[in-house]
Amino acid sequence: MKKASLLFWPSLALRELLNNRGFSVFFMINLALGLAGFIALDSFKESLDAHLGRNSQAILGADLALTSFVPFEDETISLLESKLPENTRSTRKISLFTMVSSENQTRLIQLTGIEGEFPFYGKIVLQKGGAISSKELNQALDVAGKAWVYPELLHMLNLKIGENIIIGEKKFLISDTVIEDPSSSFSSFGLAPRVYLAYANMKDTGLLTKKSRVSFQKLYHVPQETDLDVLTAKIRVQIKSFTGSDSKIRIINHKKAGNNIGRLMGYLNDYLGLVAMIAVFLAGIGAAYLFRNYLVQHYREMSIMMSLGATRQQTYNMVLWQLTMLGIAAALLAIILSMGILPLLPMLLEKFLPSGFETHSKFSSLIFALVLGAVGSLVFCLPVLSRIRAVQPLQLFHGNIGGQALENPLWRQILSYLPLLVLSWGISVWQSHSLVIGSAFVGMLLCAVLLLGGAAWGILVYAAKFSRKPAGSPSVWATMKRLAFRNLQRNRSGAISCFLALALGTLLINLIPQIYQGLQEEVNRPEDHRIPSLFLFDIQPDQIAILHKVLKKEQLKLNFVSPMVRARLEKVNGEDFSTNQEISPRTREAEREQHIRGHTLNLSYRTKLSESESIVAGRALATSFDWDAGVPAEVSLEEKYAERIGLKLGDLLTFNVQEVIVEAKIVNLRRVKWNSFQPNFFILFQPGVLDDAPATFLGALGGLDQSRRLYLQNLIVSEFPNVSVIDVTRMVQRVLKISDQMILALRLMAYLSILAGLVVVFSIARHEVEGRLWELNLLKVLGAKFSDIQKMIQIEFAVLGILAGLFGVAASLIMSYGLAWWFFENIWKWTWEISFISVVGVTALSIGVASLATGRTLKSSPLSLLRSS
Amino acid sequence: MILNINGLYKSFAQSDSAQIEVLKNLNLEVLEGETVAVVGQSGSGKSTLLSLLAGLDRQSSGSLRLKDQEISIMSEEKLTQFRAENIGIIFQQFYLMPHLTALENVSLPLEMFGDEDSHLRAQEALQQVGLAERENHFPHQLSGGESQRVAIARAVVIKPTILLADEPTGNLDNATGVQVANLLFELVETTGMTLLLVTHNTELAERCSRQLTLHSGTFQ
Ligand SMILES: Nc1ncnc2c1ncn2[C@@H]1O[C@H](COP(=O)(O)OP(=O)(O)OP(=O)(O)O)[C@@H](O)[C@H]1O
Ligand SMILES: [Mg+2]
Repeated sequence: MKKASLLFWPSLALRELLNNRGFSVFFMINLALGLAGFIALDSFKESLDAHLGRNSQAILGADLALTSFVPFEDETISLLESKLPENTRSTRKISLFTMVSSENQTRLIQLTGIEGEFPFYGKIVLQKGGAISSKELNQALDVAGKAWVYPELLHMLNLKIGENIIIGEKKFLISDTVIEDPSSSFSSFGLAPRVYLAYANMKDTGLLTKKSRVSFQKLYHVPQETDLDVLTAKIRVQIKSFTGSDSKIRIINHKKAGNNIGRLMGYLNDYLGLVAMIAVFLAGIGAAYLFRNYLVQHYREMSIMMSLGATRQQTYNMVLWQLTMLGIAAALLAIILSMGILPLLPMLLEKFLPSGFETHSKFSSLIFALVLGAVGSLVFCLPVLSRIRAVQPLQLFHGNIGGQALENPLWRQILSYLPLLVLSWGISVWQSHSLVIGSAFVGMLLCAVLLLGGAAWGILVYAAKFSRKPAGSPSVWATMKRLAFRNLQRNRSGAISCFLALALGTLLINLIPQIYQGLQEEVNRPEDHRIPSLFLFDIQPDQIAILHKVLKKEQLKLNFVSPMVRARLEKVNGEDFSTNQEISPRTREAEREQHIRGHTLNLSYRTKLSESESIVAGRALATSFDWDAGVPAEVSLEEKYAERIGLKLGDLLTFNVQEVIVEAKIVNLRRVKWNSFQPNFFILFQPGVLDDAPATFLGALGGLDQSRRLYLQNLIVSEFPNVSVIDVTRMVQRVLKISDQMILALRLMAYLSILAGLVVVFSIARHEVEGRLWELNLLKVLGAKFSDIQKMIQIEFAVLGILAGLFGVAASLIMSYGLAWWFFENIWKWTWEISFISVVGVTALSIGVASLATGRTLKSSPLSLLRSS
Repeated sequence: MILNINGLYKSFAQSDSAQIEVLKNLNLEVLEGETVAVVGQSGSGKSTLLSLLAGLDRQSSGSLRLKDQEISIMSEEKLTQFRAENIGIIFQQFYLMPHLTALENVSLPLEMFGDEDSHLRAQEALQQVGLAERENHFPHQLSGGESQRVAIARAVVIKPTILLADEPTGNLDNATGVQVANLLFELVETTGMTLLLVTHNTELAERCSRQLTLHSGTFQ
C-alpha cells in the first residue's frame, strides 16, 4: 500500500493548529515567556565566554607569564627562557597588597610595579595622559617617582591629582588616574584599588621584604604562530625538575587568566540559569494544561481519522507534529522576546563585567533554543499525551466521544513524567555546572511541587464543604460563592495548575529578598559582635606582643590570633598530589579542585576550635606532639574542602613546609561557618608541629563603628607598616551592594517566572469560562446579572490567589530559614511586610488577570445558547 | 458472497463482573450489490453490530468474514489497511473535520494513502452528491443535509466494497432525509456497492432489497 506524501501529516497538523488559534497562541505565549529568560541568559553566557576568550591576553597583559613569590634567580630564568621561541619579548611586573595613607586616612591597595612594554595587549588609559605607549610609560613613571592611581582611591583618601601619597617608606606624586585598565578584574570587588609605580621604584618603598607577600611576574609576548599549550607544558616540565623555591614558580598562559576572571560571573550565571529554569517550568505547567484540554477536545477528530483508515500511530504522530511545531514557534517567539531581555543583563551586572563587554546572539544559541522549544513542549505534554489511548473510534457510534474514563495504570503515569524529570535534571546540572547543586535544585523543585500540589489537593477536598448549600435564605452572594467553590472542585486539574503556578512564582520572588533582608539587618548593626570589624594580617611574630600592647591602650583586644604557615601538599598516602593543569575542568567542582590543588596552602595550628567550628567526624587533635616518637602529626581538615580534593579521614599527607618535609594524618573533619567572617583555615595542625616554622599571624578586632575603624587603621599602619588591615564591615557592605546587583538580576528572572505564572492563570481562566459558556448563559437566562457571574469568577480566583500566595510565602519562609541556617549562621529575620505584600499582590493579580481573561466571554449574549450546536 | 456472519456473540463487561450480552448467535449472509436494512429498538445492538463490521471493535466469539477474509483475526495494522480499502462508514452525526473544507474532507482518506488523483477523485465524488460548487466551504458553513452529503461523498470516494451507514438520516428533517436517502441509493445502485444500513425509519428500510429486525441480540 502506498504512503501519504511526506508533507501530508505535518500540513494536516498545521491546519488543525491554525484552526484552533486560541489554543495555539496561548500555548506559544506560555512557553515563549518561560523560554525567553533562558535564551537571553544563554546568549549572555556565550557573549561573556567569547569576550573573555578574546580579551584574555589583555587581562594577563601577555601571552604567557611566570609567577613566583620570591625574586627570580637569573640562572633559573635563563634556563626557562631558553625554551621560549625566538623573537619573544618580555617585561617584568611586581605586585603586592599594602596599606597606603594620606594625611589622615589609610587604605588597602594593590601596588603594581610595571616597566617597558607592559601591557603587551590592550592599553592602559589615563585620565589626563590618554592611552599610554611603552615609551611614555618609562618616562612618566620611571624617572620622576610618580604614581598612577585608580580614581576611587583619590575619592577614598580625599586626595587630588598632584598631591602626594605615602607608599611604604616613600612619598610618590600622584600624576594621573587610570580610567581604563584591561587587566583589571572584578574579582577584587574593588576592595583594593590599584596603584601603578615604575618597576624600578618598587624597591624604594621598602616593601619588597620577606615580611610582605610579594608576587613577582615575568611576562612574555611570543610570536603569533606559537602553540601556547605545548609551550606551557614544556616549561612546566622544566619547572618540575627544579628543587627548592624554584619549583614553586607557576606558569600561566592567557587562556587561564580569562578563566579565572570568568569564575565569579560563572557562579552568578549558574544561579540565574536555575531561576530561569523555574520560569520554564511554570510555563510548562500552563502549556501542559492547555494541551490537555485541546487534546480532549480533539478526541473526536482523532476518532474520525482512525475510522477513515489512519492508524493509531499516524494519529499520534500528528499530535507530536503539532507539539513540535508549537514548541518551535514558541522558541522563535522567545528568541524575539529574549532580544529585549538580553540588553538588560549587562546593564544590571555592569559592575562585574569587564569593560568593553557587548552582548550578541550566537547562531548556536538560537538552534539550541529551537531544540529546547520542540523537545520541551513534547516532554512537558507527555504525561497528558499518555491519555491519548482513551481515543476509541468505536465511540463515534455512540456520540459520547472521550466521555469514557481511561484507566491509566499508575506505572504508565509515572513513566510519562520520567522524561520531564530527566530533562529538568539534565538541564539543571548543565546550568549549574554541578552535579550536586543541579540535583539538589531539581530535588527541591520536585519537593515543592509535590508539597504544594498535595496542599492544593487537600484544600480542594476541604473546599467541598463550602460548596454545600447553606441553611437559611440564600443571597446572590452566597449562591455565587457556592457555585465558585463547586467550580474549583469540578475542574481540579485547572485549579491545581493555577495554584501551582502562582504558589511557585510567589515562593521564588519571596525567597531572594527574604534571605537578603536578614543579612542586610546584620550588617547595619555594628554593635553586634558576631562579625569582626577589622581584619589584620601579615603580622610578624615579633610584632604580636607590641601590637597587643598598642591595642590595649585603645582598650581593645585582638581576637582570633592565628598563625599562618605557607606550605605545599606534595603527597597523599605516598602518591604524588598534583593535577593535570592542561585539562579544562567540566564542572564547577572540578574547576575548584584544580584551583585548590594548584595553589600554595595556608596552614595554621591551634589548641581549641573556635565557636564557628565543630568536628563532624573523627576525634579532637592531640594537644602535644613528640618529634622523636616517629608518628605523623595530627591534622584537621574542613569537611567540604576535604571532599572537594578527595581526602578522607585517616589519609596520610606529606607537606613541604618551606623545604621541611612534614608528615601528617587526618584525624578529624571540621564543619566551619565561613560566613561568620572569623579567621578560619582549611587545614589545622595540632600544636607543637609548626610552631618553629616561619609564620605570619592574623587577627581580628570587633565592635567598631566607622570612625573608630578609620582611626585604628591609621594607627596600626603607622606603627606596623607591613601589617595589612581589611575593613571587614566595609567589605561586607560592599559585597552586599554588589549582591544588590546580582539580586536584581535574579529578581528579573523571578519576575519573569511570576509573569509566566500569570499567563498560566490567564489561559486557564479563559479556557474555563469558554468551556462553561452554555452553563454561564443558562445562569443568565435564569436571571443572574453580569456582575453576579463576574463575582463568581472573582471568588474562584481570589480563593486560588490567596491560598497560593499564603502557601508560596510559607514555603519561601521555610526554605529561606533552612538556607540561612545552613549558609549564614542563622542570620534570618521574618520581614512580614514582604510576605503580606506578596499575598495581597498575588491575590489581586489573580483576580485581575482572571477578570481580564473572562470579561468578554461573560458579557456575551445568552442568545448563543440557541445557536450552539 | 461479500459478507458472512456466523454465530456472532458480543458482550460487554458491566461494572460488577456481570456481563450483558448484546449480540447472541447472530448469523447473516450478504451478497455483492445487495442493500440490507437492519431495524430494531433502541438498545437492540444495531450500532454494536456496525462497529464490529467496521472493525472498530472485536466480537466476543463467532466469525465475521468480509470478502472472504476473517476480519476478527487480522492484526490491528492489517485491519486498518483493510478498512481503508474496503469499508466506507456514514455516521448519524456526520463527523466532518471542522477545520477542513468540504473537498479536503472528502479527499482526506485518499491523501492518507498518497493517492495522486485524490483532488480529482474527491471533486468527482462531491459532484456525485451535488455539492461541486461548495467544495471550498467549511462544515460550519453547510446545512445538516449538505454535511451528510459530504460525509457520504467521503465514504464512497474510496470505492468501498461495503458501505456501512448508522442512521444516516437520523439528524435530518423528513424532506432532507428523503433527499439524502435518494442520493445514497442512487450512488449504491450506480456503483454496485453493497450497503448495510441501520435505521429506525421503516420507510428508509423498505427501500432496501432486504430488511432484518434485530431483537434481543438476534435477527428475527
Ligand atoms: N461499551 C459498552 N459498554 C457497555 N455496554 C454497552 C457498550 N456499548 C453498547 N453497550 C450496550 O449495548 C446495547 C446496545 O447498544 P447499541 O448502541 O448497539 O444500541 P442501538 O441499537 O444502536 O441503539 P440506538 O438505536 O439507540 O442507537 C445497549 O444496551 C448499550 O447500553
Ligand atoms: Mg445506535
